[in-house]
Amino acid sequence: MKNVLNYSYYPGCSLHASAKEYDESTKGVFKALRIGLNEVPDWFCCGATPAHNVDELLSLSLCAKNLSLADNVEGDLAVACAACFSRLKTAQHRLTENDIKRKQVETAIAGAVSLEKPVKHLLEILAKDYGLDRLADAVKKPLNGLKVATYYGCLLTRPPDVPELDCCEAPTIMENVIAATGAEPVAWSHRLECCGANFTLSRPGVVLNLSNAILASAKRAGADCIMVACPLCHGNLDIRQKEIEEANGTRYGMPVFYMTQLLGLAVGVPAGKLGLDSMIVNPLPLLKEKGLV
Amino acid sequence: MKNSKMYLSTETMNLGFVRKVEALSGSSVRRCFQCGKCSAGCPMRTFMEHPPNRIVRLLQLGQWERVLAGRSIWYCASCETCSTRCPNKVDLAAIMDALRKLSWDANGPSKESYVQLANRLFIENIKTYGRQYEMRLAAVFNIKSGQFMKDFLLGPKLLTKGKLKVFHQKNRNIGEIEQIFSRIEEMRKKGEAP
Ligand code: SF4
Ligand code: SF4
Repeated sequence: MKNVLNYSYYPGCSLHASAKEYDESTKGVFKALRIGLNEVPDWFCCGATPAHNVDELLSLSLCAKNLSLADNVEGDLAVACAACFSRLKTAQHRLTENDIKRKQVETAIAGAVSLEKPVKHLLEILAKDYGLDRLADAVKKPLNGLKVATYYGCLLTRPPDVPELDCCEAPTIMENVIAATGAEPVAWSHRLECCGANFTLSRPGVVLNLSNAILASAKRAGADCIMVACPLCHGNLDIRQKEIEEANGTRYGMPVFYMTQLLGLAVGVPAGKLGLDSMIVNPLPLLKEKGLV
Repeated sequence: MKNSKMYLSTETMNLGFVRKVEALSGSSVRRCFQCGKCSAGCPMRTFMEHPPNRIVRLLQLGQWERVLAGRSIWYCASCETCSTRCPNKVDLAAIMDALRKLSWDANGPSKESYVQLANRLFIENIKTYGRQYEMRLAAVFNIKSGQFMKDFLLGPKLLTKGKLKVFHQKNRNIGEIEQIFSRIEEMRKKGEAP
């Protein structure tokens, strides 16, 4: 069958390692929806936070080079990681409005920068290009009764003029996407707070503190699970959850899903192809209780 | 104190440094009127000795050395909350980037070495492999920072979940990446780039 949409795809470093279930479930969902994804060959690291932290020119140059590699593959650029998405969009933005920086980057990559190709986060593709109605129609197994805390983190919507994904202070795109599956998004306080991803290595104490507040807020709101769209958020909330519980003397047992894992369950991707067994906090008891596996 | 007003003047300000920050960040430092909204939303303020609004104030008052020597700039998570909310369009997140670069280039007078070490290793990884390999990054960080046992239990667990890649793929663009690094260095030597 023919694809209804086609994209070039920039997975980013995490999706090839600690977030491989995000990559796997993204491919599963897109295949089920007949959306084509063609990975950009030999893409490289966008520089993430550490590069722009101390060297903006390096960060912009790495992103510009990746954007020009992406030009060789057909379709708008689909990005899964919120951090890569933010860096690539920021580079497009800065290089469009600042001639001096653009010239420096052109020297660094020894070529013209190409800023035309739209860069889109998976959320945008699902909610806007594919469309919420069509998504709702594609649902085979509604996630009825599942209470989901949708976690945006900091980079999906900020700063206001860069990601162009949704409102920077009161976004609804994640809620809309998950509501299309029949699940129930909960209202909660910490959906836009930072998890401290940049300090995972250097200052894990920061992560234990910030991410604890996020987990506690989701629990207070009565969520069964958290849904994320970023491998860094996932690393902190899922991989470190036990550590967070120990450090704060509490217990959450809160499964943290990538949005594509939940969508995959809903649109009929076999559970074995969603990387559920890669999650550190075991989601199976919850999914069994809700009759979803 | 009734009629005391505080004026910002070029003498108190150290305009040279402020200009440097403004050029690097593309944001005004002088426009800040100290409403404090940036700090109210900053998730990292409790870890900083100077919250974001005070960083700007110190710059306005010419006390940039205190800013560069402190650890606050390294404790900024780049979450963009401050830039999103500032009523005067002060792009504080970009100012933080600029300050870190200035401190970094001056070979880090700051007390915060772990964040700098992690940044350095991350960037070196890009240069060598083209992509990030988290396990390698963590292992080297632990060795260099002397925290051998840190996250000791996390490693094996991730390995069994297949989340850590032990073998590195060769990236066919690696030559291209090396060249980007060397061209930037070249530009900087010639004074053509900051
Ligand atoms: S929000 Fe803007 S104007 Fe207010 S203190 Fe912060 S930087 Fe200054
Ligand atoms: S970008 Fe940095 S200074 Fe601004 S709110 Fe986030 S952590 Fe605070």
